[in-house]
Amino acid sequence: MALHLSRAVRRVAHFSGISGSRCFAAVASFSVNNNLLKTLFYNQRHENSDTVFFYTTKRNFSVLTNKKNVPRKYCRGFSSPATGIDTNSNVQCVLEAVHKILEDAEIPEAETCSRYLVSQVLGSTKQFAYKEHLQQKLDNAQVEELNRLVACRLARMPVQYLAGNWDFREITLQVRPPVFIPRPETEQLVDIVLDHLPSKTSQRLLEVGPGTGNICLSLLHENPDIQVTALERSKMAADLTKENAKLLNLDQRLEVIEMKVEANTTLPPNSDQTPQPVQYDALVSNPPYVLRKDLISLAPEIYVYEDLRALDGGAEGLDVILNILRLALKYVKPDGLIFLEVDPCHPHILPLHLEKQALPFKIDKVLKDFQDKERFLILSRSS
Amino acid sequence: MFLILRRGFATNSSLLCSSEKIVVPPLKMKINKSKVPKIREKDLEEKYITGWGPGGQAVNKTLNAVYLRHVPSGVWIKCHESRSLDRNRKTARKMLIEKLDLKINGEDSVQRQEERLASHKRNLKREKTRLKYEERRKEKENQSETDQENSSNKEDNLEYIPEDN
Repeated sequence: MALHLSRAVRRVAHFSGISGSRCFAAVASFSVNNNLLKTLFYNQRHENSDTVFFYTTKRNFSVLTNKKNVPRKYCRGFSSPATGIDTNSNVQCVLEAVHKILEDAEIPEAETCSRYLVSQVLGSTKQFAYKEHLQQKLDNAQVEELNRLVACRLARMPVQYLAGNWDFREITLQVRPPVFIPRPETEQLVDIVLDHLPSKTSQRLLEVGPGTGNICLSLLHENPDIQVTALERSKMAADLTKENAKLLNLDQRLEVIEMKVEANTTLPPNSDQTPQPVQYDALVSNPPYVLRKDLISLAPEIYVYEDLRALDGGAEGLDVILNILRLALKYVKPDGLIFLEVDPCHPHILPLHLEKQALPFKIDKVLKDFQDKERFLILSRSS
Repeated sequence: MFLILRRGFATNSSLLCSSEKIVVPPLKMKINKSKVPKIREKDLEEKYITGWGPGGQAVNKTLNAVYLRHVPSGVWIKCHESRSLDRNRKTARKMLIEKLDLKINGEDSVQRQEERLASHKRNLKREKTRLKYEERRKEKENQSETDQENSSNKEDNLEYIPEDN
């Protein structure tokens, strides 16, 4: 992806090897399609901070600092912020201190986040694991790590990226920026797909945009009879999906192809050299579906750290969805189903677009998520 | 020519085993799950912390706590064991059934049955260990008695006397 640096970003980069300056900035730069800003810069003055730190991807960091072979640390603190956490306080006091720091900085979900971070330095992924260590004191390494995590959180880095892994249904996935973090709504999409697949027959599924691999790997984990081919445009996401598949021992039944789905996409010939193009039994996707107007009001956790290409669906949020349906026309069996996660307005505006674009699909079912919003569509070929 | 066995020669220690071995009937206790209550989805009230705005991709919250209440009985559960909302929902239902079972069935609930079974197994194990040490203790006593006799025999200078003398 093209890298565009603003002047301010260059200044931050200049300080990256030197300790301390008064400004605290979180920077991310990536390019989305031409209609959106190429560089997003988020700057906030933090009164008590004597820190410069910034987040960027490994590749961007190399470009910014002209260093090669950088270790994979997505946030760097060059002098620790004045958190007041040290090895003299017990876990109870440390937790309260972290909570206060986050609350004062108006970080959302401060209480939950402080529990996760403290439990994390104590070695657990569970939110309430700290309760077993309330009177314990942290050692130097733990204090340093906690300070780093708090600093990153003050820079609005999502808790999931700080943890490095997150649970999704019955599996745990590695997560890292800028790959899109699985949302809880998507867990229901897996249930819907499993409910509609015939049991005990082998099925071939096509997924568009696996990201961390949450949908395909959950399906593979919970149904031993299916095989999935996943198409992912981002190399970082494709690599992460493959890594997660390997860690979960599901890589035998998953094929990840790095490609972008556009209006006239053709799939590369399948690996077993069969002459006909493979016809898939179903297609599933959580495509970028956010409307352009909603993209502007995203929280910094999202627009700074996550790849906006995983969110941006165009003016009406349907650009990628329509391309996926064109792909389904070519590669999904005529009686196959298409499962999509969408924006709540799409069940109402999609039929019109399908008619205009002469795409022979109809919406079979509209299903609601746990917040009672129309979130999931099941489509099939019409006539 | 015959050997005369003098007193004091060691005999096979197994003959000294106590006849106190208790025969334990095999344990065939099974957990009776027939009384476990079944819950209907429509009797349940489920709550999570709701996000703002359109939700879905546009929001990133670490919300995963599920609050589940069984309306007819008033029993409720809060579950935040996992970081996955779906897993918490499933675990919450299991926990709710267990809590209902305990409330309705009391001593007949699966939890109490399991506790009784575990305690019974522990008692059996303790008993088995106790018997084992009892045996060993008795063996040692007999062994030391035999040793004492042997050493006292030597003082009497009794020897092996061949028959043809």
